[in-house]
Amino acid sequence: MTQTIRVERLLRESVQTPYCDLVTRSTGRAVRTSIQQALVAGGASLAMLDFSEVGLVDFSCADEIIAKLLLDPPGETYLVLQGLREEQLEAIEHVLEHHDIAVLVCDSPAGAARPVGRVSPDLRTAFFTLQAEGPTTADGLALQTGWTLSRTTEVLETMARLRLIRADSGSYAVPQPAA
Amino acid sequence: MSRVVEVPASFDDRSFEQFAHSFSAGPLTDRMLFDARGAQWASPFALVAMLTAAQAVREAGGPVPGFTVPVAEDVRRYWARTGFFGHLAELAELHGKVPKIKPDTHSDVLLEVTPVRASEDVHAVVGKIQEGAARILHGELGLEAKATMGFAMALSEACQNIVEHAGTGGWVSVHAYSFRKRLGRRVVVIAVGDSGVGFRRSLEATQSRRFGDRWGDGAALEAAVIQNVSRFRDPGRGQGIAGIKRYLSRWQGKLSIRSGTARIVIVPPWDDDAPMTEHLAPFPGAQVQIVIPAQEGASG
Repeated sequence: MTQTIRVERLLRESVQTPYCDLVTRSTGRAVRTSIQQALVAGGASLAMLDFSEVGLVDFSCADEIIAKLLLDPPGETYLVLQGLREEQLEAIEHVLEHHDIAVLVCDSPAGAARPVGRVSPDLRTAFFTLQAEGPTTADGLALQTGWTLSRTTEVLETMARLRLIRADSGSYAVPQPAA
Repeated sequence: MSRVVEVPASFDDRSFEQFAHSFSAGPLTDRMLFDARGAQWASPFALVAMLTAAQAVREAGGPVPGFTVPVAEDVRRYWARTGFFGHLAELAELHGKVPKIKPDTHSDVLLEVTPVRASEDVHAVVGKIQEGAARILHGELGLEAKATMGFAMALSEACQNIVEHAGTGGWVSVHAYSFRKRLGRRVVVIAVGDSGVGFRRSLEATQSRRFGDRWGDGAALEAAVIQNVSRFRDPGRGQGIAGIKRYLSRWQGKLSIRSGTARIVIVPPWDDDAPMTEHLAPFPGAQVQIVIPAQEGASG
């Protein structure tokens, strides 16, 4: 099941403001708490955080919302960000790189997700191979990429730890929205 | 008898040192008279600094300071248009005629002098600035449209330093003007100031041991601005100033922060300011200035 959370709506519910900007740490904390509550209530395996009605995103607020959600993930839900404008994504990337983490971003509602943040070339290659070829094992990906098994396993484990891919009984897959 | 604090005729971040020297010549509890009669011009940094000084006196429990307004009518009108006198009247006794003009944000005053005390104030500042900032940054200074968002982000992070670290309220103002002497181009200037604890006291508990004998206002500014450290142990902290620097490097902007007796500057290629100056006259809190210049070839 996929859950869509409209971040701007949570901002208006959490903070008494006529503006739609995600600024300040206290705002970030309030919005993050609302997102966590929505995720727990929704119980979905994949959640799309939709920023399409949000104005400005500053570094402090991005840190409080995105970085802290990723560093302390709520349950088993995988997160994908969508509806981000270039400048918003830039602030979020800055924060992700600071923490050495990454997140999945969908550039358009119908588009495929891509990893953003501290993403090495190996990680990028492995992610897009999995996305194109579908779920596979470490052996399978090693064959597809021509890498050694230890290199492949290390990349897959890193991606699973960053919650960019699902790991289930030796099989790895990119989280996909339910059709 | 009052101690006279001289307000420089042309008051900006450089002549501020004259003001700080005069202000710090005695204790904050002295009866003071700020003499601005000869003032010809003041940058947003200067307006914020004068409010900060008056606030520091009030917070120290000193007598209500006096303030003689500029003789020049155009200067009085400009300062009134920035909202300066309205806020100053709450902190000082004004001597002289003050024009009754509403603050005007449709001109070069992008953001009138605005108090910053809480997170809500930062929301309001960021919400108000965006339309005017787009008009000036994109329309006059020749920056890409997306620069407006980064500008508002930098403003937000600078204001949050007050909310998160100062321990008291502060002020922000944003103006556009021609930077003739130093640059020969138009600029947008963000000035943020407070009379709070300053960088040294904010960072002392977590950083002073690391610096040892070197610890002081200069070392605290170096830790915060160059090393991006914060008084909080949260590893996500310290990104605000780092974000401001990142934005400024893209647009050849300048960042200067003065706190206590030191001043640090991220110097752009067009400027020759000193990266670090220590042993200055003491001044309360922290004063931040961000300068975004017109891009070369821009019509502004």
